[in-house]
Amino acid sequence: MESPHTEALSLRGITKVFPGVLANDDVNLSARRGEILAILGENGAGKSTLVKILYGMYQPDSGTVSVNGRAVGIRSPKDALALGIGMIHQHFTLVPVHTVWENVVLGLDPSSGRPAGGKGAALELEKLGRRYGLEVDPFAVVADLSVGMQQKTEILKALYRSVSILVLDEPTAVLTPGEADNLFAFLREFRAAGNTVLFITHKLGEVMEIADRIEVLRGGRNAGSFLQGEVSERELAARMVGGDIPSVGETLVRPAGRDVLEVRDLWVRGGRGHHAVRGVSFTVRAGEILGIAGVSGNGQEELADCVCGLARQERGEIRLDGRILPREDPGAVFRAGVGYIPADRHREGLVLDMTVEENLVLKNLSAYSRKGFLREGAMRKNAERLIGEYGIRPPLPGSRTASLSGGNQQKVVAAREIEAGRKCIVAVQPTRGLDLGAAAHVHRMLAAARNEGRAVLLVSTELSEVVSLSDTVAVMSGGEIAGIFPRESADLRTIGLLMAGRKGEPS
Amino acid sequence: MTAEKHGGNSLSESLTDPDGILSSLFFSSLSVFLGLASAGVLMLFLGHSPAAVYRDLFSFAFRDVYNIADIFAKAAPLILTGLAFAFAFRAGLFNIGAQGQFYLGAVTSAACALSFPFLPSWLLLPLCAAASMAAGGLWGGMTGYFKARFNANEFLVSMMSTYVAVAIMDFLVRSPLREAKGEYPQTDVLAEASWIPSFLSGTRFHWGFFLALAAAGAAWVLLWKTTLGFRMRAVGKNRSAARFAGIREKNVFVSVFLVSGAFAGLAGFLEVNGVQHMVVQGFNPLLGAEGIGIAVLGGAHPLGVVLSALLFGALKVGGLLVTQTSSVPSSIIAILEGFVMLYVILSFYLRHRLRRACARRRAAAGGEAP
Repeated sequence: MESPHTEALSLRGITKVFPGVLANDDVNLSARRGEILAILGENGAGKSTLVKILYGMYQPDSGTVSVNGRAVGIRSPKDALALGIGMIHQHFTLVPVHTVWENVVLGLDPSSGRPAGGKGAALELEKLGRRYGLEVDPFAVVADLSVGMQQKTEILKALYRSVSILVLDEPTAVLTPGEADNLFAFLREFRAAGNTVLFITHKLGEVMEIADRIEVLRGGRNAGSFLQGEVSERELAARMVGGDIPSVGETLVRPAGRDVLEVRDLWVRGGRGHHAVRGVSFTVRAGEILGIAGVSGNGQEELADCVCGLARQERGEIRLDGRILPREDPGAVFRAGVGYIPADRHREGLVLDMTVEENLVLKNLSAYSRKGFLREGAMRKNAERLIGEYGIRPPLPGSRTASLSGGNQQKVVAAREIEAGRKCIVAVQPTRGLDLGAAAHVHRMLAAARNEGRAVLLVSTELSEVVSLSDTVAVMSGGEIAGIFPRESADLRTIGLLMAGRKGEPS
Repeated sequence: MTAEKHGGNSLSESLTDPDGILSSLFFSSLSVFLGLASAGVLMLFLGHSPAAVYRDLFSFAFRDVYNIADIFAKAAPLILTGLAFAFAFRAGLFNIGAQGQFYLGAVTSAACALSFPFLPSWLLLPLCAAASMAAGGLWGGMTGYFKARFNANEFLVSMMSTYVAVAIMDFLVRSPLREAKGEYPQTDVLAEASWIPSFLSGTRFHWGFFLALAAAGAAWVLLWKTTLGFRMRAVGKNRSAARFAGIREKNVFVSVFLVSGAFAGLAGFLEVNGVQHMVVQGFNPLLGAEGIGIAVLGGAHPLGVVLSALLFGALKVGGLLVTQTSSVPSSIIAILEGFVMLYVILSFYLRHRLRRACARRRAAAGGEAP
């Protein structure tokens, strides 16, 4: 244990429970002055919850936070800033139409002694920028800046408030390699001045490059604390994904079917203009489940969206049964025989205020209309059949979809999409938020579709889901396919390394 | 929203279901009651007994056949402007421009009647009706087109388009359509062949009321029996899911505003050919705004719109007579209507809370996150 005078920050026994989820379970963490501490973990490891507690956005159910050896209660980001804790969110919190200096002084505590006027602030910002290599034109409008410059603005905003503990949540996710190098140079500079950095990431390469100490989280718990140099990447990857290999289930040996879904050199831009998918190629055959593992935000959802006609395809081609799939036309892709179970069923898959029978024909309306009128009899029959086949409860076609449980809502989406995906089914996070029984049911439905000879593309951040369900496992990282293995030869440690951004053949 | 959709639920569930028809009825009635009570408090301040005023109001409204018939005459255009708002609202869109669509429908209908006074009634009336719907529909459709094409805010565009429509009407009744005498900014009296026949002779209750009812029926069929209605409701309730399902929302925007504007335009035909028999500059200036209130009070359901319009019609008829025969200021009726609107909107918040509480209770019972 560090002696109190060098310990900048310590979290003791932090527990945070959300309804049905134990996000943090007795987590301990400490960081010294002049140290970069990396917090490493998969999705759902509890990293974000932990830093949100630190920044006053959540209150822990139990446990204590100490800053500079003193126990503190952080009730809001304002409290955190007053204690010298600054945070750089993954999604920036800038006002795009305002200039850099306006963003920096927005919400500034008048007692901070920092100038809040344009001229004074600009001078001060230029000084800070020169000192830390964060030069940004204070009078530039944020919307005109590149992502890297916007991040510099965010950091300047924190430095302007004289923070001594800087928390960065996946800061390199949106940066180009050059911008990332600049960021690391700044972090070293900042550390050299006696400050503390908490660096949240799932990328092993960054951890090895920048961190002094590494704290691994898994499933909301501490899963190991290491000093730089005393741990290998393989060890970290293993700690991150856990050692327990999920049960594989019965292996279905079947002759390789024809190629159904072929993706060649696909490039797709993400929401912030960066290339989220970078030259991805793969093939899914009839009667095969291809599972794509990876930490979220590595291009998987953009890939699935693009296949299903929802995202622009910048380059490359997608074929279904040898024919080019229609682009940017979700209705046409659906009619071509591709079902899509989207990640966010509430936002994308269902109209919750409509009835179950209406949602079951949502995508295939033309088949249920005659001269512009709905064929209600056919809709009812379709609903009754699917409700029976997929075990949707309550078995009432006319009930409002919002009144169903989460599992049954997902069954409605799955029933519609599996029914329509005559050739291919794309499922993204199909069991997110479901209890075990409902998840197993969805898994059985996907496996049944595979056994009928359809091609299934499964995207999930739950490694165990991918490995237990897929015939072939692919890992996506940084918008690229980092590796593809038949399930029999898939090794969790290798997959963990690939997920964490390590390329090539691990020894 | 309709009863049939809750057919599977037990009665107790439909009573407590915040989206059920019974709950809609309950909250609307409660709002009306609270509105009456609040306006009553104001009457007390003015030195009038609310009980006496309300007694007079309702006894006046239902005093004789003429007054009762007048309720229907007043309600007819309100049903249509109410439908105009309610229909667009079902698609998650705001048509604030019913007033302008109504005006353009009115002048177009009058222009039709003035241009073809020689036509027989059976030809002229449908012609005027169709012309008014086309004018209102196209004017409204313009808003939908701007939204689809330029992603313009339909709330603002439709609201602003009313000012343009008012200016167009002003121009028309001052120059091309101005009365032969050239005295006032109004048209000549229309040929009698273009008058909507009276339902009860000696009253203002004309067959146009049944046209409004038919429009409400048509709105119901459109919303719940056609694919357009299905797409509209999907877009209205969850735009991204509709997009993901391949529904082209731009087509929906234009279609919705075409239909919505046609409803408001038809109100112009009813008022011009059924009641005024001419167009006077700036007549019925609140029809559009009252339509919004009626749609909200009626839960944006065609049946609710009809009932609310009748209630507002009764308040208008009774209120007018009360304020004419006593010292109660005439603005008290507008204030009363305003209070009712206010409580209806507040009840949305209450129902939202209720819905959340229901969801929590269900989550607790089911043990699964919704």
